[in-house]
Amino acid sequence: MASQSGSSSIARPVVIEQVKRPEASSNWFLPGILLGLVLTGKNLVLNLVEAILATFGIVKRDKMPTVNYPEEKYEYSPRFKGNHVLTVKKDGSLRCTACMLCATNCPADCIKIVASEHDDPSVEKFPISYEIDILRCVFCGFCEEACPVDAIRMGPEWQTPGLNGSEFQYDIKQLAYRPQLKGGIVSVLDEKERHEAGI
Amino acid sequence: MVTITINGKEVEVPEGSTIIEAFYQNKQDIAHYCWHPGLSIAGVCRLCMVEIEGNPRLQIACNTQVMPGMKVNNQSAKVKDAVKWGLDFHLINHPLDCPICDQAGECGLQDQYMKYGQYDSEMGEGKVKKHKVVDLGPRVVLDSERCILCSRCVRFTDEVSKTNELGIFNRGDRAEVGTFDGKPLNNNYSQNVVDICPVGALTSKDFRFRQRVWFLKDAETICTGCSTGCSVKVYHNKEGLFRVKPVYNPAVNGHWMCDQGRDVYKFVNKDARLLDAKVVSGGKTEHMQATELAKRLGTTLKGAGKSVALVLTGAYTVEEYDAILNYFKSEVQTSNVYHWINNPENFDTFDGLLLRGDRNPNTKGLAEALSKNGFNGTWKELTDGISTGSIKTVVVAGPENIALFPDLKAKVSELARAAKLIWLGAAKSADLEALTGDVALLPTKSYVEKSGTFVNHAGLRQTVKRVTTIVPGALSLTEAVAAMKGEDVLAQPKQQAGVASPTVGAGRVNNEFTLTRGVW
Repeated sequence: MASQSGSSSIARPVVIEQVKRPEASSNWFLPGILLGLVLTGKNLVLNLVEAILATFGIVKRDKMPTVNYPEEKYEYSPRFKGNHVLTVKKDGSLRCTACMLCATNCPADCIKIVASEHDDPSVEKFPISYEIDILRCVFCGFCEEACPVDAIRMGPEWQTPGLNGSEFQYDIKQLAYRPQLKGGIVSVLDEKERHEAGI
Repeated sequence: MVTITINGKEVEVPEGSTIIEAFYQNKQDIAHYCWHPGLSIAGVCRLCMVEIEGNPRLQIACNTQVMPGMKVNNQSAKVKDAVKWGLDFHLINHPLDCPICDQAGECGLQDQYMKYGQYDSEMGEGKVKKHKVVDLGPRVVLDSERCILCSRCVRFTDEVSKTNELGIFNRGDRAEVGTFDGKPLNNNYSQNVVDICPVGALTSKDFRFRQRVWFLKDAETICTGCSTGCSVKVYHNKEGLFRVKPVYNPAVNGHWMCDQGRDVYKFVNKDARLLDAKVVSGGKTEHMQATELAKRLGTTLKGAGKSVALVLTGAYTVEEYDAILNYFKSEVQTSNVYHWINNPENFDTFDGLLLRGDRNPNTKGLAEALSKNGFNGTWKELTDGISTGSIKTVVVAGPENIALFPDLKAKVSELARAAKLIWLGAAKSADLEALTGDVALLPTKSYVEKSGTFVNHAGLRQTVKRVTTIVPGALSLTEAVAAMKGEDVLAQPKQQAGVASPTVGAGRVNNEFTLTRGVW
């Protein structure tokens, strides 16, 4: 606010900078296309050679610079911020307490949570519905930063094709229990341990 | 008047007031958890500490009277240190369940910690575990771990509701709020203890976990649950209304409101509302815009004379009554206007605190409007008129909160005997839907969707401003009359002239739970 009020009271000298347009040589697209063709051709030849060598077991297949998508899939590092995961407790139930800090912090406003009372008084509150509209999501990671209980993380998965809009509306079943998670990812924060330690 | 100095600023306060009242009257920040302006002084939270010049020890502001020339200060390093240690004691056994706690976002302890706390706890011991999710009664849930034993709720049941359900049991850090021998907290004012709880120990079953408070906008209006007309705040967002809380208004309700009034918001939300205009005629049903229906009705009603009767309930504003009565007098040219009193047997009852037997917000306003226009028809004249066939069309401005009209079913079948029934109303009702004769249903706006004046039982005129829109197509009676006259009515009308001030009622000040959140 201070800088704003300062700029309005003090007159600044007007500096006109001339914008530099790209030179005429950048309009020559042919060299770029040729360079691309060279790269593709190089990889094609290398792949062919390596594929032949690999069939005879001379080199390993993973040396190849390309993969046979979708049969082979490239895995990013675990730190990659891809598709969301809702973590679970040791008993397999959701870790989320429905505090809605992720929904509050979400700049794309794509998280919708409906909270409810749990039968277990030690749990008290839990989400009966947790939905992410993944087409709105900007993968900024603010949700996992806001989460006080390590309930939402962004995992390394990134291939998310779908045939219609409903497939991009991730619900609890998709976020916590999709087959790739093999029963769910267990949260590092355990309420039971915390209670036993008297915290 | 006594002149004292608060944080270096000279102020005048009435003689005999306490230091905390002096802070409160002069809009100075001071923390208070056990002190409440509507309750007696307990002095147990020790967080309203002030330094008084010439006094070696800090004093609590809630139980110290002002003296001429007194210099008090709650900003000094000494006070800050005391508050920090006080907070440390309060938070020894307080659980860190802000994510689950319903009070998060409007919790006094949270605010105070962000201001004065932010220390590393000195406690090496584990927290004392107490009872969680205790069912105190039909409307309130208790979490003893979060309770800081300020005793506000106990004093409320002792002093205000005088039902004495709550007490503090055990001693030291084993002390807990509870009810004696399992007697439930079950009085018509029980949800006030949720409002006055400075932490999230007492939560309302109705509001619990439904929304986080920071997703809600608030607006001041008037409770339409009975003819007392309490000043209230409604909390709403795009999904509808979620809760109602009282606003301090010494002329009407003081600090409190009843639990029945808190339920009024439910009848305003979309699932309980009549959503579009409908005409049932000759076995066919036709849906249309409310303005379209009103225009059609206008052509049939114009100059129809004595064969038309108007039935009014006490749920509408003074301005709406004026508009519709003028229309019936000058354009329809009939004097058959009748007042539907829903519960005549207990109309004049009063529970001694706030709730009245007359469950309409504007009975007095309606009576004034009727006598001003010289309408004094009795209900018997109406039923006789329908029976003899002299009244062919009945126009009803129906109730908003149909749950408070036990005679609704009987009245609907009584009025439906007329050749044509035109029902203007906000509420969806199975009795109305079931009608097969010549019926027209026109959705009207609820009290949060229009501006106007309500006159309460004592004759106090209170204005309300539009809060939000819930049913976009609904019309107020004023707009419906305008459309009947053939004028073009906008779906979203401009603010009514003459209702400029947002203040409601006389002598109102902001309540202490007002929160300043970001701009929406």
